[in-house]
Amino acid sequence: MSFREKSDWLSFSSLCLLAIYFFEIGRGLVNGSHPRGPYYFFALFWVLIGALVVIQVVTHTMLARRSPQDAKTPVDERERLIHQRATPPAYFVLLVGAFMTIGTMHMGFSVWEFAHCILFVIWIAELLRYGMRLFYYHRAG
Amino acid sequence: MGDTHITNAIRRLRFEHCEMTQQALAERIGVTRQTVNAIEQGKYSPSLEAAFRIAAVFGQPLDAVFQYQPEADRGKP
Repeated sequence: MSFREKSDWLSFSSLCLLAIYFFEIGRGLVNGSHPRGPYYFFALFWVLIGALVVIQVVTHTMLARRSPQDAKTPVDERERLIHQRATPPAYFVLLVGAFMTIGTMHMGFSVWEFAHCILFVIWIAELLRYGMRLFYYHRAG
Repeated sequence: MGDTHITNAIRRLRFEHCEMTQQALAERIGVTRQTVNAIEQGKYSPSLEAAFRIAAVFGQPLDAVFQYQPEADRGKP
């Protein structure tokens, strides 16, 4: 497995952490309000973002130290092609999600809900982008 | 990506060049070892430039390294 494929696995896995946040948001929406109060989401969001950054930095540093030669190798033509192919499906999801989010403006959603719809769409699009990259790495690897 | 119609003699040529490793070939043509592996297994068709670089490393003409097999000819001995 190349450095960049491992890096994509790490990014994909760490992004999955945010599922906790969206699960909690969903629970709050279903129940009308979350039992732990409104500040719970604020705290949870920043804790998860902090964890995401720390995990990304630490694991990528460890990965680069373990195989410095791989880490220094520039992106080659096959990897560029994989990145190019992985982007359109994610962009499509982002575009559809953005338009659907605009639609929520007519459904009486609050600014808070509107912002979370956008965040959710970005999260799904990023997951898809990394997922597609891993799929193509696996197919041509 | 996926299996291509282009076959190659890279494995044999590496063997004939003192068992050159995929890593060594990758470094000489400026790609990753995984890309050389994908090319060798016919899962990825390299760009024309990379193909010429590979041929130059082995000192062979391009058609001695890569062969195009149309769909109808596939599977024939």
